[in-house]
Formats: sequence, C-alpha cells, structure tokens
Amino acid sequence: MTTDEATSLVNVGARQAARRRKAVPYLLLLPGGLWLAIFYIAPMIQLVGISLQEGTYQTGYSMTWRWENYADAFALAGSHFLRSFLYAGAATLLALFIAYPLAYGIAFRGGKYKNLLLVLVLMPFLTPFLLRTLAWKVILADSGFVVETLKTLHIISPSGRILATGWAVVAGITYNFLAFMTLPIYVSLEKIHPSLIEAANDLYAKPVTAFRKVTLPLSMPGIVAGTLLTLIPAAGDFVNASLLGNPQRLMVGNIIDNRFLRIVDYPTAAALSFSLMLVILAIIIPYVRASGTEDLVA
Amino acid sequence: MTDTTITTQGGFGSSEPAAVELFNITKRFGDVLAVDDLTLAIGENKFFALLGPSGCGKTTTLRMIGGFEDPTEGTINLHGEDVTGLKAYRRPVNTVFQSYALFPHLSVFENVAFGLRRTNVDKGELEQRVAEMLDLVQLSGLDNRHPAKLSGGQQQRVALARALINHPRVLLLDEPLGALDLKLRKEMQIELKRIQQEVGITFIHVTHDQEEAMTMADTIAVMNKGKIERMGDPAEIYEDPRTAFVANFLGGSNLMPVTVIDRTAGSVATADGTTLFVPPKALSPDTHGFRVGVRPEKLNVYRPGSGDIPPNVLTGRVMDASFIGVSTHYVVRTSTAGDLSAVVQNLTGDRFSQGEEVSLGWHPERSFVIHDD
Amino acid sequence: MAQAATASRKPPLWAWIKRRILPVYMVVALTYLFMPVAIVILFSFNDHQGRYNFTWQGFTLDHWQNAFGVPRLFDSLVTSLQIAFISSAIATLLGTLIALALVRYRFRGRSATNLGLFLPMATPEVVMGSSLLALFIVLGVARGFATVVIAHIMFNISYVVVTVKARLAGFDRHLEEAAMDLYANEWTTFRKVTLPMILPGVMAAFLLGFALSFDDFIITNFNSGNTITFPLFIWGAARVGVPAQVNVFGAAIFFITVSIMLLNIRLQRRRA
Repeated sequence: MTTDEATSLVNVGARQAARRRKAVPYLLLLPGGLWLAIFYIAPMIQLVGISLQEGTYQTGYSMTWRWENYADAFALAGSHFLRSFLYAGAATLLALFIAYPLAYGIAFRGGKYKNLLLVLVLMPFLTPFLLRTLAWKVILADSGFVVETLKTLHIISPSGRILATGWAVVAGITYNFLAFMTLPIYVSLEKIHPSLIEAANDLYAKPVTAFRKVTLPLSMPGIVAGTLLTLIPAAGDFVNASLLGNPQRLMVGNIIDNRFLRIVDYPTAAALSFSLMLVILAIIIPYVRASGTEDLVA
Repeated sequence: MTDTTITTQGGFGSSEPAAVELFNITKRFGDVLAVDDLTLAIGENKFFALLGPSGCGKTTTLRMIGGFEDPTEGTINLHGEDVTGLKAYRRPVNTVFQSYALFPHLSVFENVAFGLRRTNVDKGELEQRVAEMLDLVQLSGLDNRHPAKLSGGQQQRVALARALINHPRVLLLDEPLGALDLKLRKEMQIELKRIQQEVGITFIHVTHDQEEAMTMADTIAVMNKGKIERMGDPAEIYEDPRTAFVANFLGGSNLMPVTVIDRTAGSVATADGTTLFVPPKALSPDTHGFRVGVRPEKLNVYRPGSGDIPPNVLTGRVMDASFIGVSTHYVVRTSTAGDLSAVVQNLTGDRFSQGEEVSLGWHPERSFVIHDD
Repeated sequence: MAQAATASRKPPLWAWIKRRILPVYMVVALTYLFMPVAIVILFSFNDHQGRYNFTWQGFTLDHWQNAFGVPRLFDSLVTSLQIAFISSAIATLLGTLIALALVRYRFRGRSATNLGLFLPMATPEVVMGSSLLALFIVLGVARGFATVVIAHIMFNISYVVVTVKARLAGFDRHLEEAAMDLYANEWTTFRKVTLPMILPGVMAAFLLGFALSFDDFIITNFNSGNTITFPLFIWGAARVGVPAQVNVFGAAIFFITVSIMLLNIRLQRRRA
C-alpha cells in the first residue's frame, strides 16, 4: 500500500483507541451512579407521585393528582414547618457563633497541635447520636447544675424548666450538628495564608479591621458550607424534638415520621416530605448558582 | 518562511533508519492547534534539544513520541518501525518527567528496578544492573531511601537512572532541570551530556532555556506555534537565525530594516540612507526588503573619530551603561536604527558613560540577514 | 507596626487578657463538647433505681460486669456492626470508582454528576428515609436487614466520593504515565502505583462510612422492618427506660474508636 494509505490506516487505529478511552469515565461512574439513580432519584420522583395520590392503607391508594394533599398537609403541619425552621435556624446561628471562634483558634493558634485539636473536636461525635441527645436530658434536668445556675441568676423563674421546651430542642440540635459547622469553617480558614493578614497590618489595618476585611470574607465559603450542612439536616430532625421537647412543640420531622410509620397516611406524609425537600432546594439553588458545581463534592 | 522537512541524519531514504522520525504530525486539542504538520528525523547517538517558549508545542511533541498523547494526524517511527498506534508501555523509549514522577511509596531501588521488573530478568541480574545504574548517576548506597527524603538533585538522578536502566533506544527528557537551583542546574547539564555520550543513545531534551539547549545539545530545533522554525547545531542557528523569532529567542539581537543597493557588493541602505554591508551570499535574488541583524556582542563601541573602526558604522549617544562584571552592557540611541544594545567585554578599564557620543561598529561577516516575508 | 504606638497606652493587663481569650474560649468550647460524652460514660456507672437513668444515685460496677445481661442489646450491636461493615465496603468501592472518574477525566455530564452526588448529602434524612420506604413498599420488598444495607450504601456513596476525591486531587498524574513508560500496562499500573497511593484515602472513606452507618437512626428507622440496630434499640428503650448497659457499650465504643484514631495518628507520625 502507499504511504498515504498506511497513514490513514494508522490514523483510524489511533481514533479507535481514543474512542475506547472516552468510554472509561462512564464505566467508572456506572455502578455507583446506577445505585444512586435507583435508590435516591427514583424514590424522590416516586415521592412526588405518592404525594398526589388518594386513599388509605385499608382501601388502597390511587393516583388522582390530588393537589389538595399539599393544602391538607399545610393545614396539618404548617406551624410545625415554621417551628422546624425556627429551631433549625436558631440552632444554626448558635452553632455558627460557637464554632467560628473554635475553628479560628485551631487554624491560627493551633500550630503543631492543629490535627490533635481537630480530632478532639470530632471525638465526642463518636458516641452514638441518641446517647448524646439523652445525655442532654441529664444536663438540662430540672435539678441539674445548669438549671439551678440559671435559676440563681434569675434567667428563668423558680418553677421554670428547660427540658420539654423549645430551648432544650435548640440546645440539642446545636450540639449535635456542631461538627458540621466547625469543619468547613476550619478548612476555609486554614487556607488563608498568614501573609495576607500581615499585608493588611502593613497597610494600616488594626486587627479587628483586618479580620473584618480579610479573614471574614475569605472564610465565607466555609461559613456558607457549614450553614448549609447544619441547617438542612437540622430542619428535618425529629430526634431532638422527641427526646428533649414536648408533644405540643413537634417539628415537621416528627409529623412525617408519625404519618408514615404509625398513622400510615402516605399521601399526606409524602406531601409534607416533598415540601420540606422543596424548601431545602430553594435554599440550595442560589448557592449552587453562585459557586458552581465543581466545589460541591469537595 | 519555515522549513517543514528537516532532518539531522539518516531517515528519508538513507540506508539506515533514523532513531526517531515524525511524519506530518499534527495535534489538536479541541480548537487549539498545538503541533502543526511537523516532519522531523532525529539521528542515532545525538543529544537533540527541542527549544521554544511555553505553548510552542515542544512538550506535546515529546509526549507523542513517548506515547502519552495520540497524534491527531501523522505517524511516528522509532528505528524504522511504526509506533503510532502503540501504547507507552510497548514503546522502546523511556521518559524523565518534569516533576520526576518518582513513586513515593517505593524505595530508590524499587523505583529504579520498576521497568526491569516488568520483564523476565532474574533477581541476580536485576540487582546488579540497579547497582550499576546507581553508580552511573552517582547515587550508590541510597537504595533504601524513599524519594521524599532525597534532595531535588538526587531525585532527578533517580528519575534518570530509572529510565536508562531499561536500555531504551531513545531517552525523552521533559524539562528535567527546571526545578533545580542555578548552580545545580549547570552541574546537571554537564552531567547529562556526559551520560549521553557514555551511554551512546539519542537523548531528546525539551527546554525553554536557550542557554541550556546550547550547552547540552548537538542539534537544536527551535519551535514556535507548533512548527519548527529553525534547526541545526547551536553555533549555526545562533549566528544565522534566519527568522526574527529565532534571532530574539536565542539571545539579544539588534534588527535594522534595510533595502538592497547592490547585490554583488552586498551593500544595503537603512531608512535614513546610511550604507551598510552584509555578506553578499546572504542576499537571495528574489527579496528586496529585509532586516540586518547584529548580536550585541558583535558590536564594538568606539570614541567618535578613532581609527580602526570596522566597515559598518553608526553613531549615537549612550543612554545606559551597566557594568556587569565580565562585560558592560550599553544601550546606544542612534538616529539611523533606533536603540541598539552592545555588550563589550571589560578587557581594558576603558568604559563609556551615559550621555557620551560614541560610534558603533561591526564587521559584515558577523551580521546575519532576516527575510521577513 | 502601627500597633506598637497604641499598645503602650493600654494597660498590660488588657493585652494579657486579649492573648488569653481565644485559648480560654477553646477550652470552654471543648468542655462543652465533651460534657455529654462524660455524662454517657459517667452514667454507665450509675446505680440507678427504677427504669430511668437520669439522676445520679450512686456508683456501681454492676452494669459493666453485667454488660451482656440485656437480651436484645448485644444482638442489636452485632447487627449494627454487620450492616456498617457491608454497606461501607460496598459504598467505598462504588464511591472510589466515581471519585476516580471525576478527578481523572473530563466528560460530559460532569456537572450533573457533581450535583447528583451533592443532593443526598443535602437532603434531610426524613425525606430520604421516607422516600426509600415508599419505594420498597411499592416494589413489595420486605423491610429488614437488606433494605437497611441498601439505604446505608446509598447515603454513604457521596461521603466516600468527597473523602477519596480530596486524596486523589493531590495525586500526580505523571506517576501513572511514568509507570506506563516503564512497561506497566493499565492493570499493572493500577495495582502497583495507583492503588497503594490512594489506599489511605480509601481507608479513611471506609471508616467514615462505617461510622456514619453505625450511628444512623432516621433512615434506618424508616427502612428496618423488624431488624433492630443499636440506635433503634436505644430509641425503643428511651420511652421505657434505657438500661445502663447501653451507656456501657456507648462508652466502650467511644474508647475503642478513640484508641484506633490515636493509634492511627501515632502510626502516621512514625511514617513521616
């Protein structure tokens, strides 16, 4: 064959090899992606479907596009929805104020103990979630140290209690999700090179100003990430409310759990569940738009 | 105007196949044309340098020879054999990577032995060859260390040993000296040259440092925008760059636009009418306008009116005089050709200062000609 | 520095306090973090009368000595361990493959993949658990051990990807090219170079998945049928009175995991 023919043959071979190479990433994604598609995405879609059905456990369910389910759900649990976000929001703010100085201290004053300190922050979360929450029942007990001190300081009345109030629930949530707030903030603070702060000082900024104008803005990604990672699971939590709160102050998670497992009212429960998801999505979408998808998975 | 068919030795119809031959190699990354219809033959036992600025396509070309990128078009031959479709692990070439790419979880011994372990060499021979190779790169005794505990220069030598031990027929080096400090780099340049001559195979060395290329290489190919603009031995391409790009890349140059007066006498005229002389053979019959180039070290600086000034003279005023120790660098503003730079060795104590009127002179044979069309 | 001028006007006590504020705060914060843990451990020694273990009544070693005395407690622990091991192993495998794809290759659908991996981490557990339950009901799958494992694999994948990706990002691509340059084909390169190097990250991902699975409550609650995991046991017992043996095991888990972590740190320091 001529050189031209030989050349074109080789080019074909090269192109075939390139095509095979292109398939590799998709093959790698396949098993895990399939798992998530079947066990996360499909259920979500189905959830919407169920939320539009009608019927009871005894009579069976039928798909009637019953949008009223959502209205019913809100009549039932609208206040719980609000309460959930109130508690979760309060807990998130509290967690932010507790976690930020902690993360700051580790990042900037930790020195060679940084990793050890991080480990210390994570350690308490190696005890089971439920046990930790039950421990708060002891800490906030009526005759316990905390309540007695607060009574002495006249912050609560002599007959007041913390347990079985919203405060206990918020306290529990704050504690349980503290690690989710601390770590992302730490990561973004850690990335700030000390020379940036030195530069600010060199340019006549006092420490507080340097913090406001340099450190704080640069740690924003961490703050945002921590806030999302705390607020979202907190909004859906019902364990804290169950163990530390009272039946008059349930969160939407309690209602969903109840409706699904005990009252077996799937359509309403599904409507509530999906509504919660929608609110969460409404919070996430601006975030994803702003920072793109690349940094989502670290 | 560039050469598209360039050879060093062998190949293209001669009796022995060249070590490496590239035929019409083109590489596109999406819309970007990294390598543009490159045809090249590199002979045996040569230290060959691919020189150029970043983005010129030199690393891409090297990676295609090594098998890490597939050419979009074209073929590659190694010793006459078509390797275009072959994966890297089937090619008889080895690479020294820019970041050394030493396996951090393996010891020096295991790193160097890695390639041999893929073959059927028996244990005794393997150990012997590793020892020999470590000796060649002067790292004996460091067998059990891990790369993290080695200095930059030592890591570099391990990378070299790891490649050479496999007796490749061609060794590819991708800017291997970039991460070393100046003194070490200069030492390694000499060292690499020595090793190449001792081992006797072809080295293809990619670099953006023209001084490095000229120190080490027998043949240099200057690349620009995916093509080879000029190829030859260092002295040849330095003194006769033929394009403005090569002239400016390989060192300083003073370029002056001129038009031809008399082709046989080799006289040309500058814009303001001054007559200069160039070697007549540099003037090709078909062009009329081009530029005369003089390297700064070929320009001498004289007091105006002193005798013994060469045939090409321009007058001007010293704008800057920098004493560099070995030499003094002058920038002289001439009315004829703008600012010219001259580098004069400090042989006598005689120097000119800023503001002085001087004459610049050079011999016609020491200049070159650049055709800009 | 401009500070020097102002500092000399402030009393040295103030400067002393300012320097100490942060460390003091950190100690307070860490105390706050460890308080519940201390309570859990402490109350494993509580000689409580009656069913509830919320007020301190006296010290006893009975519960530690009688740790296996509560019938279904130990079984629930074993179940949790089994589920954690299996689900984490599978999730680690699936997640590592995904992480490799994300870091190494540029492909279409990358954004969608990133989003699809992020969503499970951002979805409240009630939503995930309940929707999965609905799926199982519709498919007629009985809820039990298997469904819990499935659910745990699902939510672990994202965390595995995050962990392994972080480790992969610092991986020099040229290392694999170097291996291929030295005559190793793709499989050998993976075995001898890639795998050993990402192993620490993969192990960390496995441990993370294990911990997340072991401690999970909400999703498990929805999908467990009659299977009782350790957290489910505690939840069930919380109404009626949590036996102190739960504290014993909780404390034991804590000490074991802490020891493993400290051991890991020691080992890493020695390698460096």
